[in-house]
Amino acid sequence: MSAALILWHKHMTKLIAHKEEGFGVLFQPILWVVLFGTGMKSVMGTAMPGAGDLYITFMVPGIIALTAMTGAIQGGLTLLEERIRGIMKEYLVAPISRVSILMGNAMSTVTKSLLQSAIILVVGVLMGAQTVGLDPVGWLGGLLLIILYGLGFAGIGLAVASRTSSTGGYHMLIFMLTLPLLFLSNALYPLKSLPTWMQIGSRINPVSYVVDGLRQTIFDTGSKLAGGELLPLWLCFLVVSVFAVLGIMLAYGSFRKSVK
Amino acid sequence: MIEKKQNNIVIETKGLVKKYEGKVLAVDGIDLSIQANTIYALLGPNGAGKTTTVSMLTTLIEPTSGTAKVMGFDVVRQANEVRHRIGVTFQEMVIDDDLTGCQVLDYHGRLYGLGTHEREKVIKELLVLAELEEAADRRVKTYSGGMKRRLELIRGLMTQPKILFLDEPTSGLDPQNRTTIWRYIRNLKENNQLTLLLTTHYMDEAEALADIVGIIDHGRIVVEGTPRELVSGMGADTIQITGSGDVDSFINKLKSLSFVQGVTNTDGLIKIGIDAGNKRLAEVVSLADRSDFPIEEISVTKPSLGDVFLKYTGRQLRDK
Repeated sequence: MSAALILWHKHMTKLIAHKEEGFGVLFQPILWVVLFGTGMKSVMGTAMPGAGDLYITFMVPGIIALTAMTGAIQGGLTLLEERIRGIMKEYLVAPISRVSILMGNAMSTVTKSLLQSAIILVVGVLMGAQTVGLDPVGWLGGLLLIILYGLGFAGIGLAVASRTSSTGGYHMLIFMLTLPLLFLSNALYPLKSLPTWMQIGSRINPVSYVVDGLRQTIFDTGSKLAGGELLPLWLCFLVVSVFAVLGIMLAYGSFRKSVK
Repeated sequence: MIEKKQNNIVIETKGLVKKYEGKVLAVDGIDLSIQANTIYALLGPNGAGKTTTVSMLTTLIEPTSGTAKVMGFDVVRQANEVRHRIGVTFQEMVIDDDLTGCQVLDYHGRLYGLGTHEREKVIKELLVLAELEEAADRRVKTYSGGMKRRLELIRGLMTQPKILFLDEPTSGLDPQNRTTIWRYIRNLKENNQLTLLLTTHYMDEAEALADIVGIIDHGRIVVEGTPRELVSGMGADTIQITGSGDVDSFINKLKSLSFVQGVTNTDGLIKIGIDAGNKRLAEVVSLADRSDFPIEEISVTKPSLGDVFLKYTGRQLRDK
């Protein structure tokens, strides 16, 4: 078994053993969909009959993107903790490649993101979000999008975790990144309803591309609310792929320097 | 004969230097030549360069200059070969608290590519060795400091290394746990054909364990030898005196005595290395009398590695 897989396995074992973390991973996204979703659903429903369910379908991809992003950036904390506590040294004196340490972390991070995304999806569907149903191509495409997107943000998280020395600074980073990336995107409202400067911001934000990608692969009816003006699907895949590559390269460069 | 001796050398460094960016030299030209099946102790105060030396030998950091070979493999160019053959425990406790003892060992074995059956077999044996069978399925969180240390020790042994590096193996443990760990370390060497390189700032630890002691200070080995050689070089006994008067002139007079083998003075505490303490006590006292050096306290002790350290570095090796 390759070293990256062993580390992934170990992180999963720890996730199960460490009940607080496991609980947080599962519970946080549920809170988002239920609280925010219910609130928005009734606001929209009051404004226009029938719009409530449409909005849930529109919003769930956004919440998936937000959770996957937060989860992926937080994945760096595992690496940071292993660095601070010295556990990294056990890996570094072992006959395994340095890259596999990084890959193991990226893999366990993306796994957690996928778990969270799945939960949101289930809760979202229970609350009325409409998916494409039995469309394997759509689901696979959506899965691929989330994995690539998770890798990109995991890369950013791991890059910072490789160089910083405190968890406090790291939490600040998560906070600084997630809020603007969420609100400066099409995750919660359609692009065309935004003022121009926000539209520009949204277009250079990878979150927008994964959200619109998910709306076209896993969810169907969300496009109605967006007025059919979604970012083209091919562009979504392209941007998210490039983002994943850049994120991993960034993490690799930063990690190489830290273990020299 | 010489050829054979060469073959037995498992750790060899030449002019090993580590300079951290913008800082002083942490290791300043260390030459080591350690034979197989010995326990070698690097003894020195905190900051002497012990951990840095071990970090280079275990491939964690690269030397600034000089070379180091472990089992004949270069620690930089053949790092992976070295990693396959060594076990390491670090100065700080490095274990995942959320895993059970068994899991800690199992994941470690996996990282080194050990098969399932081999892992099961070795883990069982090692848990017995460290008397951790009953705690094996408990999370490490619930372990005492001594238990964690023992777990770390056997983790280093999981992969049947030829050389075990122990960085401050008993630092922070209470006396009872220290003695237990010492017993394990001695057994390890006897039963496993192991070479051990350990670092310590406890002289009693070096005395209790080491076949060869290298005293390290300011990144250099100042003296090296078996504990007995080092200590006997100090004289058979030490007379310790404090008193008032002209210390320097008294010391000069002491040095001129034929049976005195060395005199040191630290903050007024004079230590005299001597062939036989009880026999010479009277002569030293009468010399003090004649030199107008009133004695406040006088005692005869056996010299220790601490005295050796003092002699070669001019400073006390304080246990902290």
